[in-house]
Amino acid sequence: MSNHDGATTSLILFELAATTYAVPSRLVQQMEMVERITPVPNAPAFVDGVVFARGQVVPALNLRLRFGFERVPYNLKTRLVVLAEHGRTVGLIVDSAREFLTIPTAAIQPPPETVTGLSGKYLAGIAYVDERLLLILDVSEILNFTELATA
Amino acid sequence: MTNDPGESGLHFEQFLDDFYVECDEHLSVARRAVLALEASLQQEVIDRGLLDELFRSFHSIKGLSAMVGLQVAEQLAHGLESYLGLLRKAQTKLTSEGLEALVAGVIAIEQVVAAKRDGAPKPDVTELTKRLEALLPSTAVNEAVPKSSAQGAPSGSTSTDVAAKVAMKLVDGGRAWSVHFAPSPAGSELGINVNSVRAELLQLGTLVHSEPRIEAGGRVAFLFLLITPGQDPPQFTMKEGLTVTPYEPASPVVESDAAPSATTDSESGAARGGGSTHLVPANLVRVDLGRLDELMRMVGELVLSRARLQDALQRLHDIIPSAERRTLEEVNLVIERQLRDLREGVMRIRMVPVHEVFARMQFVIRDLVREQGKRAALHLSGEETQIDKFIVERMMDPLLHLIRNAVSHGLESPEERIAAGKSPEARIDLRAATIGDTIVVEVEDDGRGIDAAKVLARAEAMGMAPRSTNDPAALLDILCAPGFSTREEADRSSGRGVGMDVVRRAVEELGGALIVHTKLGFGTRFVIHLPLTLAITDALIVSVHGERYAVPQVAVREVIQIESTSITTIENNELLTHHGRALPLLRLDRFFGARNRQAIAAHHVLVVGDGSDALGLVVERILGLREVVVRPLTDRLVQVPGISGATELGDGQVVLILDVADLKRNSRNRKLASTGERYAGGRHDAANQVKQTGAKP
Repeated sequence: MSNHDGATTSLILFELAATTYAVPSRLVQQMEMVERITPVPNAPAFVDGVVFARGQVVPALNLRLRFGFERVPYNLKTRLVVLAEHGRTVGLIVDSAREFLTIPTAAIQPPPETVTGLSGKYLAGIAYVDERLLLILDVSEILNFTELATA
Repeated sequence: MTNDPGESGLHFEQFLDDFYVECDEHLSVARRAVLALEASLQQEVIDRGLLDELFRSFHSIKGLSAMVGLQVAEQLAHGLESYLGLLRKAQTKLTSEGLEALVAGVIAIEQVVAAKRDGAPKPDVTELTKRLEALLPSTAVNEAVPKSSAQGAPSGSTSTDVAAKVAMKLVDGGRAWSVHFAPSPAGSELGINVNSVRAELLQLGTLVHSEPRIEAGGRVAFLFLLITPGQDPPQFTMKEGLTVTPYEPASPVVESDAAPSATTDSESGAARGGGSTHLVPANLVRVDLGRLDELMRMVGELVLSRARLQDALQRLHDIIPSAERRTLEEVNLVIERQLRDLREGVMRIRMVPVHEVFARMQFVIRDLVREQGKRAALHLSGEETQIDKFIVERMMDPLLHLIRNAVSHGLESPEERIAAGKSPEARIDLRAATIGDTIVVEVEDDGRGIDAAKVLARAEAMGMAPRSTNDPAALLDILCAPGFSTREEADRSSGRGVGMDVVRRAVEELGGALIVHTKLGFGTRFVIHLPLTLAITDALIVSVHGERYAVPQVAVREVIQIESTSITTIENNELLTHHGRALPLLRLDRFFGARNRQAIAAHHVLVVGDGSDALGLVVERILGLREVVVRPLTDRLVQVPGISGATELGDGQVVLILDVADLKRNSRNRKLASTGERYAGGRHDAANQVKQTGAKP
């Protein structure tokens, strides 16, 4: 993240277990309501299945499970956020998502050392916007699942 | 080309793409010709046609390379061409050194061109250049030397060289013209670009030279030298950006090769055509594979639309009066048939004969065998077999690897072979055949075979926990384990331990299967089964616990309906007596992790594979036979055992396609492994439980 004066970062915000997370909007291809997801047998537990997105078959990750939260049934607010990063395209299933926000890049701070736990290691940074805490996700870390076996 | 080509940049890029394709074609021709020449080694009379063909190929490569400023390739091609010129005039005999130089030359040009394309550093060809020079008498060397020091200008050709070429072509009448072409956006809109201009020039006469030029303002222009048969200026249909002037040679002719006396009677026939850079017959069209993919995708969408139409018709079945319904159904059937024809037509366009791949393999084997002091003859069969272009491209590296393995690991030295009572010359077979909807490619050697015990020991030493290797499939599993290598040290051609796993993955990514047969002391045969085409296939749609799956029809030999009572259970394995044999069953519901649910009641069994390899897949219902458009599961998160891809049946929902080969393999492994199910234990339990309790929207 650069610290040039005036530089801004666009984020897509979403809610997960009553916390606000953000991903860089340039990585977001589309957001949609969760319709029928085809389960993929023997895929990792946090993969709910696959869906079509722009003619591509894309895995849908349940971010709640990825972060070790409890699973909740899909509802009308549940969203699939489709991200493209390093040639991979995946969908993240989140509780709700609707906000687009541009903040000064300088407002983004590195994640505090004290944040631990599974969701801590997926953070690229944090930011306070109008007294509200945003946890900015490290998307490539979320997609990296080598630690899965030990998780 | 470091200049900024501005608006004409696009043309040049296109032009470069064309250059690679054309070089590739000429190299293919050259490879074949060189291999054929090998037979004429040291003979009094060499097949003239071959020499001419080879000469033309190198000549074309030279011209093309000059056009894109690829001096290294140009010089190499020039050297090779000069040597062939001597052979053609019978001024020298084809020696084995000469042949080696021709082989090395083809390989080097290929590498140079590939390096240009990939932006990689140019390979060092100094040694080869020296070898070539040694083959040529001093006059030719003199001419080659100043060229290698040519600098600056994008073209490596000296004006002398050009003038000489012109003089050679002018011998039997005709006139030379300088054609200057400056690409412009306006011209481009009319379809006038460097390629179309070149094509037209080729129609009008013989193109002896062409080069790109950087003009004032950094614009790219092209200069062509054209020889026309008559004395009149050539008439162009394209005028945009073209100027024609009579050609003035810059300096007198000095090249011995170009002296009029050199043009003997026998030369005029073949050499006349030799000036053309186009060897491709005029009725052939080169098409970018991407466009064919696009076409195939559109056909795929049509197939989906028709599937929707059929669904709608079925829903209306009871509503529409039967007479009208029949008409609609007939139309639907006609569309289906026409779509099938269309699909086959598009597929046929994508098909290319496998012989080019084979010719390349021939080259590799030749080189390797020589390098390793072995002796081997390559036997080809089924070269005319047609394979999808996409598959051919993807199979190149795996085949190369198998061939290298065969030579490096498979073949013994001549001494060892004699000691083993074999002929000193080994035999490698490369076969291709179409069997139904499958292509079978085989690489077989009559070498030492794979020592299963040794492989097992090596695998244990590397910390793997291999099972028995009595089964070829289990042996293959070890050979294909990432990082597995039987070699202590890597050599140039094999043994880096990155091989077989890559081979198998490439084959399986294409929906194919790799099988090995080996007999210690007698040789090894690798068999690759590949689908004829990838994009669209017929599939049986089945359901397991309400979830739909597609099973490629090619894989299904038979569908049978069974009663639960006819199943025999032996230690966790279920068997069905079918056609007097015991058919092992695989319950898809269990394989896919629904072990805690009630077993599915109604059974249909899809029989896949044959003989000892047969397996029955137990499914709940069979929903029908459909044409499906296959889409890959590219993300590794969802690359799971037993699933090869996904499709859609018109309702926008993903339906997974079963990987029958993988299911069979898994079943085999289960048979061999004493305990446990390979894919159903461990961490996947969590996945399964989530799936069962999991939220359904």
